[in-house]
Amino acid sequence: MTEFVITINYRKHTVKVSENSSVEIGDKKVETEISQISNNFYLIRFGNSVFEVIANKLDRDKYGFLIDGFYFETIIRTQLEETVIELQKKKSKIRHHSDVKAPMPGLLLKLKKGIGDQVSLGEPLLLLEAMKMENELRSPASGRVKNIFFREGQSIEKDAIILTIE
Amino acid sequence: MFKKILIANRGEIANRIIKACSELDIISVAIYSEADKNALHVRRADEAYFIGPSPANESYLNKEKIIDLAKKIGADAIHPGYGFLSENSEFIRMVEEAGITFIGPSSQSVKMMGEKTSARRLMKSHNVPIVPGTTEPIKNVEEGKKSAAEIGYPVMLKAAAGGGGKGMRKILNEDDFESSYSQAKNEALKAFGNDDVYLEKFIENPKHIEVQILADKFGNYIHLFERECSIQRRHQKVIEEAPSISVDDSTRKKITTAAVNAAKACSYYNAGTIEFLMDKKKDFYFLEMNTRLQVEHPVTEMITGVDIVKLQIKIASCERLTLKQEDLKIHGHAIECRIYAEDVDNNFAPSTGKIIHHKLTSGPGIRIDYGIDLMSQVSIYYDSMLAKVIAWGIDRDEAIVRIMRALSEYQISGVITNTPSFTWMLKQKTFLDGTFDINFLENEFFPLLPGKWKDGSTNDAEEIAAVLGALLKLQERGTTLSNNQITNNNQWRKQQYD
Repeated sequence: MTEFVITINYRKHTVKVSENSSVEIGDKKVETEISQISNNFYLIRFGNSVFEVIANKLDRDKYGFLIDGFYFETIIRTQLEETVIELQKKKSKIRHHSDVKAPMPGLLLKLKKGIGDQVSLGEPLLLLEAMKMENELRSPASGRVKNIFFREGQSIEKDAIILTIE
Repeated sequence: MFKKILIANRGEIANRIIKACSELDIISVAIYSEADKNALHVRRADEAYFIGPSPANESYLNKEKIIDLAKKIGADAIHPGYGFLSENSEFIRMVEEAGITFIGPSSQSVKMMGEKTSARRLMKSHNVPIVPGTTEPIKNVEEGKKSAAEIGYPVMLKAAAGGGGKGMRKILNEDDFESSYSQAKNEALKAFGNDDVYLEKFIENPKHIEVQILADKFGNYIHLFERECSIQRRHQKVIEEAPSISVDDSTRKKITTAAVNAAKACSYYNAGTIEFLMDKKKDFYFLEMNTRLQVEHPVTEMITGVDIVKLQIKIASCERLTLKQEDLKIHGHAIECRIYAEDVDNNFAPSTGKIIHHKLTSGPGIRIDYGIDLMSQVSIYYDSMLAKVIAWGIDRDEAIVRIMRALSEYQISGVITNTPSFTWMLKQKTFLDGTFDINFLENEFFPLLPGKWKDGSTNDAEEIAAVLGALLKLQERGTTLSNNQITNNNQWRKQQYD
């Protein structure tokens, strides 16, 4: 039997899959069966209903699933992997620094702070342009700008770290 | 009639125009940028030409290149769609001078209405009620602050060349004036190539009501009733309907008459839309005229049976309007939901990527106008609207249940879309009883972000996602699953009827 911890929207689900193909989610046993229709397209029987699911692999342990019009970013780890990552998280919390990540892909229009500048919580840091709208990113913490990884005029991918504050 | 039409646009509207050309037996010509090499409009048009690099100002906004191409390939007309060059009077003048027909109004009409401050002056002089504010562009911060104080905060700062919410800011007090002013000017410059801005009094809790106009080149004017477009986020429309639940017969008579007068004031021809703000007392104020086809034109097509795009082409080729006002009736009700590539729960961040799955839906009363398909690229360069789901019903209730059904069946993957948020909006009491106004999303939806609006409605689907995730992970790890857990074509699928 393999036990997985699945994280969706910060909620954790435990799923157990046994050798004889029975599946348990939480303490509920479900009849399930999946069929792969094409690269990203699956049918899944769940109890007495069949659902179409579009699966998009995002990362090593991350899938995006579209089910019934709803989209779920789903992190899938074995019980062991989950335990290791939780431990690492606790460690990194001890150090005090904040990364400012791009919430969307875009063009870095203007940096309002330089390396070494003091910033306070909520202070505007930079302008990011995406789809013709200017978006102001504000500081998630008070402190000093430690590193800046992009120049004005550069394109930034979603979730890239733009600068760090310590 | 024209032989060949160049479509100076992309996305769903380029595809919509291609369909009209096809039905009129006209050769359709697409243009595309680097990012749009695999775009749907390129595949569907009869001819397609590369126009330039991905940034819009080097491709879809490049007036000279587009006109040169039209001349070279022998296009006798240009359809601008909406956005891009559609309301650029300079472009229209250049098209006219090149001996090509612009499918839309004359450059003079666009100039009169496109510059919002002169439009306000014109409306005022033709007794069309306008929102109190300035009727000249603001010259500098000091002058702006002075005018804003006279009008009284809160005020709206708007791009004189604007539309679609770009270059628009609400200002609550004088402290915010300067930063909003420079942001609005920057956005306006980028979106429209003109950074003039003006001020309007902020009207509390209005509805956005607009009237569709059609006019030929012989002075015949008709209206196709109103649309209700109050469900907006940052001045971008999200849901539109026709007719409006809040417009009664006597208001309809007044507002459509005002709209026709507005069109006559600028000697308008072709399709156009007059936008109004309507307050709780059903008093309405001219907001602006959109001198082009609107994104939301399908809801009007659904309730009137009129093909607006085909009529645009016929009017441009000097045909007379044969439709008479007295022949037009409102039949049933239509709703449109705009599908944007955005992550609602992540501050509506635009989502980019390659479309890996696209499955349409159909059924009674459903129409989908879309600009994407498998492998098309959703990039940061252009507007994030992917498609429009439109439903018609014999009444509003039927239109609502139909669009809910269609939204749950329509599948797009590869980018995150706002589709699920409609299932929340369409169920709210204020939406259903019609008491909503343009602040609906801000007041009722935003407090439930991120995620709270889903409120248990996704529990079952979430469990399915969890189970599927576990099974796929197991498969990746190379663990052999028993036969009936995952196969490419297992028994119960074979039982399906062909």
